[in-house]
Order: sequence, then C-alpha cells, then structure tokens
Amino acid sequence: MASDDAGTALESGSTAPVPGLAELFIGMLQVALSAFGGGLSAWSQRIVVEQRRWMTNEQFLTGLTVARLFPGPNQINMAVYIGTSFRGLPGACVALAGMLLVPFTLLMALGVAYFHLHELPAIDRLLAGVVAAAAGMALSMGFRILDQYRNDRVALALAGAVFLAMEVLHWRLVPVVLISAPLAMAWYWPRQQVR
Amino acid sequence: MSASVLAIALAPALAPAPSALLAASGAATTCHHVQLSDLAALAQVLWQFLSLSLFSLGGGNTLLAEYHHISVEQFCWLTDSQFADLYALAEAAPGPSSMIVGLLGLGAGWKEGLPWALLSAYGAEIAVLLPSTLLMVLACLRWRTLEHSPWRIAFERGLGPITLGILFAVGVKIVRTADVTRAGQLSVPGVIVSGIVCLLMLRTRVSPLVFMALAGGLGLLGIINR
Repeated sequence: MASDDAGTALESGSTAPVPGLAELFIGMLQVALSAFGGGLSAWSQRIVVEQRRWMTNEQFLTGLTVARLFPGPNQINMAVYIGTSFRGLPGACVALAGMLLVPFTLLMALGVAYFHLHELPAIDRLLAGVVAAAAGMALSMGFRILDQYRNDRVALALAGAVFLAMEVLHWRLVPVVLISAPLAMAWYWPRQQVR
Repeated sequence: MSASVLAIALAPALAPAPSALLAASGAATTCHHVQLSDLAALAQVLWQFLSLSLFSLGGGNTLLAEYHHISVEQFCWLTDSQFADLYALAEAAPGPSSMIVGLLGLGAGWKEGLPWALLSAYGAEIAVLLPSTLLMVLACLRWRTLEHSPWRIAFERGLGPITLGILFAVGVKIVRTADVTRAGQLSVPGVIVSGIVCLLMLRTRVSPLVFMALAGGLGLLGIINR
C-alpha cells in the first residue's frame, strides 16, 4: 500500500519511508504510553499521521472504517491495520505487541493485586460503588448508537428481536448472530444502483 | 474472607424484593471448577475464546455477555461480583478494555497459583485476538476489492442493528451482574447510580474515571453496598 503512494507523497509532502518492524513496535508502544488516561485513537492518529508521517490522514481514516467493520476490538484492529499496511502479518503482530505489552502488563499487575486484596472490607465496599458506575457505562453503549437507527423500523425491530432472544430466551450470542446476520444481510443487500 | 462472610450474614436483613428478574441468571449455576493445570482443560478454555473471536462485533463489547456466561455460569471461575469487579478494572485501566479477557484468564487459573494464572491470562487474551487479527490482516490486504463489494455493504448495514440489540442485552446483563447484593437481590442504590452514570455518559463528555471515583466514594460511605 505504501509503495503506491511513493509518487504522490512528494506532492502532498507527507509520508515518510516505510517503517521497519522495530519502528512499528516502538511507534505503537509510543501510542500506548501516550494514551494512558484515554483517547487511544486520537493519539494513534497524532503519532502515526502527524508525527511519524507513516500514513496520510485519508489512509488512516480508511483504516478506521475497516477496523470498525471487521470483528475484533476497534483499537486493536487499527494497530493490525497499521502493521499490515507496511509489513503484512509480521507487521500486524509487532504492532499489536507494541500496543498491548505495557497496558496488558499493568492490567495483570492490577489483576493480581485485585485477587489478593478484594476480600478486604474497604476494597469490597469501594468496588461495590465503582462497579455501579461501570455498569452505567455498559448500559450507555447501546444508547450511543441508537440514534442512527431512529428512522429505520426494520433495524429497530431486528435489534429488539436480538435483545429479546438474548435477554428473555437466554440464547447464546453465536446462534443469535448466525441466525440474524444472514436475514439482516439479505434485507440490506444493496439493490441496483447503489453508489 | 471475613468481608464476604459478613456480607452474607447481613444480606438477608434486606427485603427479598425484585429477585424474579435475577433468578434466571443467578440460580441456575451448576458448574464444576475446571483444573487448568490439566492441559486438556486449558485447551478447552482457550477454544472457548478462540471460537468467540470472530463474533466480536461492534468493537468487542458485544462479547461481554458471553464472557460472563463462560467464566461465571459455565466454568465458575468467578462469582457475579468478581466478574463485575474485573469489568470495572478493565474499563478503568489504560488501554483497550477488551483486555478484560486477560483478567478472566487470570481468575480462571488463580486457584492453581500465579504461574498458571498468568499462563491462562496470556493464553486467553491471545486466543480471543488471534482469529480476528488474522481476518483483519486479510481484510487489509484485500480491501480494494472488498470496499465496493455488495457483501461488504450488506454486512455493514445488516450487522449494525444486530450489534445494537446485543449491546442493549449486554448493558442489562452487566447491570444485573454488578448491582446485586450477595444474597442475589437487586441493589436499588446501585441501579440508580448506574442509571445516572449512563445518562451522564450520553449527555456529557466527563471522563468515566470521574464517575467511577465518585461512585467508589459512595461505596466506601456504605450508600451503595452488596
């Protein structure tokens, strides 16, 4: 992908030479460290596009589209996209490692501390509160994307059916998706002149 | 230990109120703890996460209800409140919140000692990321042909509403897991705080860490308890 842009890079004065595996790792590590406290995707844009000039903004946004479309956590898919664009599968693995190594190690340390301490009365009481806030965050996820389906009755009916299947009938996720996805895709299949 | 014993002793004092909603998820737990140092059991656990990977739509949060099912109901590595704690921990810590799988793995192997716990933590995280990563690599390499394919358009439009339904189910599931007393009853102050935080998350741009800290304070004061 980067080789195609070699010609246009001069005009827009943008992209730097293709990064090697070590550079990819360090770049993603830098993203992970900068993003402590949140805003991971904003930081990765700042570092990958503006600072290191590995990609144009347009390429980055294409990556976001792909990352959101395909299964897997968005930020992690974005690291895979960046790695793959330059170095294929090895690049993807290195970029992932760079992005996850520090946060995951920290989380493991937190987890070990949790399993040692969670039965202390003070910690348990603190967590009883924290957990209520976290549950509120979980509840907001659905509402966050609800707006875009406001005028699409089929979409709302589909979402409602999926919700009921999981919540009332206690169906597991895999059969729910395997049944509903083909139906939904058939309904939304682009007819004639899309584009 | 003393904390949970105390909580169990105190809990029946609360009114046996809206537990009907909870009965289905809480009561039917008849699982056996799996020894992960038995490699076959570890492989089975890793397979669970491997096979879920490609179903993580909409950024991965759609899998939370399945994670709960695996770690609380199917293999009983964790209690409901431990699951809720780990979810909060993963949300609060820096980095992608999908790293909760590592915490679940840690909990799964905890009884067998730290080395096994870490092994199952890393194993579970790698297992849940591997298939989606491979698919993503293929997608990147083939994006030019995929971009205008009708499959891509139908997939994007069709999976959106499904993701919406799943996210609502996941939200309700997490609330029912988190805002519960040890006796299995809905904690009314907890639900109220969750509702307020949900609203504030949608209406303001305040960092969720602020809400977690404030709610943690309410917990310490004993206003929210379990």
